[in-house]
Amino acid sequence: MQTRPYFLTLLFLLLAIALSVAVGSVFIPPADLWRVLTGRPPQEVTQAAAILLDLRLPRTALLLLTGAALGGSGAAYQGLFRNPLADPYLIGVASGAGLGAVAAMSLGWPYTTLGLLAVPLAAFLCALLTVALVYSLARLGRTVPTTNLILAGVAFSSFATALTSFLMLRSQDEVRRALAWLLGGGSVAGWGAVLAMLPYVAAGLAGLLLSGHTLNLLQFGDDQAAQMGLPVTRAKTLVLVAASLATAAAVAFSGIIGFLGLIVPHLMRLWFGADHRRLLPLSVLGGAGFLLVADVLARIVLAPQELPVGIVTALVGAPFFLWVLRRAKGQGIW
Amino acid sequence: MIRKALFTFVCLALLAACAPSATPAPAPSATPLPPDPSIVLSDGLGRSVSLPGPAASVVSLAPSNTEILFAVGAGAQVVGRDLFSDYPAEALAVQDIGGSMGEYDLEAIVALQPDLVLAQAGGFNSPELIAALEGLGLTVYALPNPSTLEEMYANLETVGTLTGHVQEATDLVAALQARLAAVDAAIAPLSARPSVYYELDASNPAAPYTAGSGSFVDQLIARAGGFNIGSQLESQWAAISVEQLLVADPMIILLGDAAYGETPEKVAARPGWETLAAVQSGRVYAFDDNLVSRPGPRLVDGLEALVRLLHPGLLP
Repeated sequence: MQTRPYFLTLLFLLLAIALSVAVGSVFIPPADLWRVLTGRPPQEVTQAAAILLDLRLPRTALLLLTGAALGGSGAAYQGLFRNPLADPYLIGVASGAGLGAVAAMSLGWPYTTLGLLAVPLAAFLCALLTVALVYSLARLGRTVPTTNLILAGVAFSSFATALTSFLMLRSQDEVRRALAWLLGGGSVAGWGAVLAMLPYVAAGLAGLLLSGHTLNLLQFGDDQAAQMGLPVTRAKTLVLVAASLATAAAVAFSGIIGFLGLIVPHLMRLWFGADHRRLLPLSVLGGAGFLLVADVLARIVLAPQELPVGIVTALVGAPFFLWVLRRAKGQGIW
Repeated sequence: MIRKALFTFVCLALLAACAPSATPAPAPSATPLPPDPSIVLSDGLGRSVSLPGPAASVVSLAPSNTEILFAVGAGAQVVGRDLFSDYPAEALAVQDIGGSMGEYDLEAIVALQPDLVLAQAGGFNSPELIAALEGLGLTVYALPNPSTLEEMYANLETVGTLTGHVQEATDLVAALQARLAAVDAAIAPLSARPSVYYELDASNPAAPYTAGSGSFVDQLIARAGGFNIGSQLESQWAAISVEQLLVADPMIILLGDAAYGETPEKVAARPGWETLAAVQSGRVYAFDDNLVSRPGPRLVDGLEALVRLLHPGLLP
């Protein structure tokens, strides 16, 4: 096993974490940072401690999990659908979550703990429900043709997005809140959100990391894979469930962060090859690092204004990806 | 039989519960306690907010909140304000704590260590944001989003209480009420009610947005002796089709979107609009939308500005 790709990606992730913790609108001297993080905050840095422990660290953790979920799911979907345009939202997770979240907002829940949980809960459930619906619509007898899945997903996504827009127009008081959620970001989530999404993301990613060999076999096509002894429908369903679980949990708390799940797997494939046993873990690590870097940019570019991180991932990610693509021309990445 | 007895018992018990209590209310204590400086108020989200005393430092999360704080004399206590707070001019010197797309700079707010964060309920500040600020140990009061002038007055008094400017707030409300009464008295004898089209946004000139029923614009136009042609529309921010507008043929057009570059000349150049009475008589005016869109004391300024445009010469 080659260890260099893992070493490089892990190094990038660690740097991204360090950057994410160190950079913010309030400057905290490195010495204070270290003292707070090592659990020895003296009296005079209690404010730095509050900013670090209650704001930056939960945000870093939330985005780390989100980026990992999106990167891993993106790699799995691209492999599963054998389509370079696949991303974690392809079969409706994002549009379903968006519909659930905006519906919960427009219902105007009262200000209670349950009321605050209503939005992520509705987003999570609607995301999973959408995937289940798309899956059952795409099912033909005992098989689930990939093309059917994509088409059903795209059609249902359009439907859900239209319904979301309609709800937003109807409930004008909630437009700002809805828009902020739809554009993605985790600035107000706190440790509660991290703990709530952790089990789903962990379970989903564990399922994906075990599916590397399955995805490698699926690259030969469903028939070939079946001849090689793979229970094709069951394997596909497992990948779909794992990826949807991780993505739905991420989207429920971080909103819809676009583009990351599309390009991170491509970058990893471009640099380190297409073997899914390696591509999946690398995309998990790379996705987490990429989102953290994008978030640092979102915080400092227009400080004290914070950009929704979903804007930055595409705004910075797209040119970067195009640059990598140009340099790699002739090599072929797919 | 048992059931009947039970029923009687329940009825008696209910009667007893409804009967006026015989115990007298505790007599007011003879020696008055020293005045307790602590403040407990219910906010626009139904939360009970308590402060040990008037807040000496406040962060405002909405332009209307900033305007109210300065108007009740608490301007010097404002240590942070959102990006959109641009009035009064002194507010611009206060530290900007963000607020574009609903995203505030929480680190900066924590670093300011304010006694109070004055948020706005009703869509401007999300409940998630308020919960997050509370989670950081800050005291947050979400001012209710008023739908009438009376509710706006109540907000002025609330902010006066929270910041220790009760008297100034009371005086301010009295002054605003006097100006309002003067407008009402001047309008009452008039019989003509000019029709008004108030434009909020004409990014799509075929279906511009106007202020519908329930909005402050709608209420203030009526109070200023006009008829808002948008009052038939249900939404506060409602798209009106140009066809409807041509049929309604408003006598006056107010450009609340003047800040986005709309001018009377541009309106006259829109296809079909040249036939409107307002365009032909030249009664198309730029209007400062901040006077009628921010639920603060300047709503009364907005009312007077409307009267001056609708009924020139009526107010001194």
